[in-house]
Amino acid sequence: MKIKNKIFITATSSVSCAGDDDKTLFTNICDGNSGIKQDKNYFFEAQPAIGKLCSTSAFYDALLLQCQNILDQSKLEDFNDTLLIIGSSVGGMNTTEEIYLKTQNYKNIDPDFHHINAIANIINEKFDFYDDISFSTACTSSANAIGYAYEVLSKGVYKNALVVGVDSLSKITVGGFLTLGVLSSTPCKPFDADRDGMNVAEAIACLLLESESSDNAIEVCGVGYSSDAYHMTHPHPDGKGAISAMSQALKSASIESKQIDYINAHGTGTIANDNAEANAIATLFPHRPCVSSTKSVTGHTLGAAGALEAIISCMVLKEQKYPKNTFLDTPENTNLNLPLISKEDEINYVLSNSFAFGGNNCSLVFGKCK
Amino acid sequence: MTINLEILDSAYVYAPKVIEELNTKELVPKMVVRRRLTRAAKIAIYLADKVSFSNGRIIYGSSFGELSATANILNSINSKEPISPTHFQNSVYNTAVSYLSMLSDNKNEIMTISSGDNTSLKILKSGAIKSLDGDTLLLLATETLNIDKIEEVSSCIDFLESGVALKVRFTDEEATIDLNNINNGVKTPKSLDHMLNIAKSMHMDKPNIIEMIL
Repeated sequence: MKIKNKIFITATSSVSCAGDDDKTLFTNICDGNSGIKQDKNYFFEAQPAIGKLCSTSAFYDALLLQCQNILDQSKLEDFNDTLLIIGSSVGGMNTTEEIYLKTQNYKNIDPDFHHINAIANIINEKFDFYDDISFSTACTSSANAIGYAYEVLSKGVYKNALVVGVDSLSKITVGGFLTLGVLSSTPCKPFDADRDGMNVAEAIACLLLESESSDNAIEVCGVGYSSDAYHMTHPHPDGKGAISAMSQALKSASIESKQIDYINAHGTGTIANDNAEANAIATLFPHRPCVSSTKSVTGHTLGAAGALEAIISCMVLKEQKYPKNTFLDTPENTNLNLPLISKEDEINYVLSNSFAFGGNNCSLVFGKCK
Repeated sequence: MTINLEILDSAYVYAPKVIEELNTKELVPKMVVRRRLTRAAKIAIYLADKVSFSNGRIIYGSSFGELSATANILNSINSKEPISPTHFQNSVYNTAVSYLSMLSDNKNEIMTISSGDNTSLKILKSGAIKSLDGDTLLLLATETLNIDKIEEVSSCIDFLESGVALKVRFTDEEATIDLNNINNGVKTPKSLDHMLNIAKSMHMDKPNIIEMIL
């Protein structure tokens, strides 16, 4: 990719099961206060531990509130010059499911509020944007959205971009992961020898990207994409796709692997993901930077995960503190440096991984502004 | 800002209900793989073969994604039957292009866009921006809406299965196709209109170039 401009994250806002603002989210991650709880509302016969939005507002009201928070934090008067970039794996599926299970037919379903673009349609009802685009690559959706924002701004195509990572839970999502047999009934323990699966969760995470820096901004230094071309739901066991995405992100950022101080792992808590990612990190980062998965506190927020974990990465750089691996007892891969306590340290570069069904991989590099 | 794209090759296909000739047996000889493919995956594989694209970046899009897999899951939940793991793994929007990447061992960047009626326009815009990097890209869009009782939610589409592929690269040359003055003339899903219009306007005797306004 030919880069012209430096790109900065100048405002962020999130709500998840781990907090209704970024500071609370980061405090809970560092303190190990998980937002994951057992739930039997979706299926009586199973009680998976999941993460529901920590908000008194209805889901779409919370979505609009996050966008307004960004506008309030920024120097922008409106979003008229802003490209809206959505990353979501389910879009308006929740609404469709609710109507269909109530009426047993499709007659009352509005297609414009069913598909992925439903999110952009809802946001566009309140705010005016220059243009919008929605990405849906399962669990890499909003990481790819950030990558796209980085590309278009660095090439000078648009002035600024609002990335919105968003996914809500529904019976389809919870039931689907249950049928794959990968949901844990307790908060997950990524990279632990005794881990027993993942927690699905919902979240809304917004980031404003601009080509001009401002106080407290974090630089987006690079992005790397790859495809496993291996299996629909299983990553390559050696993490070949992950290695490729991370290598390309480092190349895009023009830094060496030894310059990465902290890695926010995809770390879902499934055997297949954790083994592949651990192998990939151990291969590419022999200097053993701190690695943690924050999904034991936030759950796996699916299409929103890339954006939520980008905000966590920004907080790591702002607070100069890497978060611990909550609930980790017995690290399975001893080649990784998996901190058991959160600790302040000098942190210049952070790498964040997102991997998805279909072998879709995206790695992002963030840096402290110099 | 404008970016011009040269269309190097194109292919399209559509049918009222089911596209019959997708050549899937020949393109996917292994039955164990073939039987897992969704309709959109079969269309994607067929179109990629038609434009001779097997390795490189792909920007794929669909407004409604894997509607059949999603409808099957909803029906299972409604009738309190077990959800099929295959239906669930095949329900994500990037399913079709993921199967394509596996079958062609394509390890490059592969994006999936879903922007409602403007999906193929957004694929073109994204393709134009990415083409600045200098490589040849495959732009691909499908819709597979042939599910039971689809008429309850959509009665204005004559062709329930459709797909279009454009092989493109950046060019400095002037546009030869006017995007504002073409109409594909059939009631395929609007999400495919922009790319289908271009595919149908291809000239055999001169370069095919479009100007994308961003």
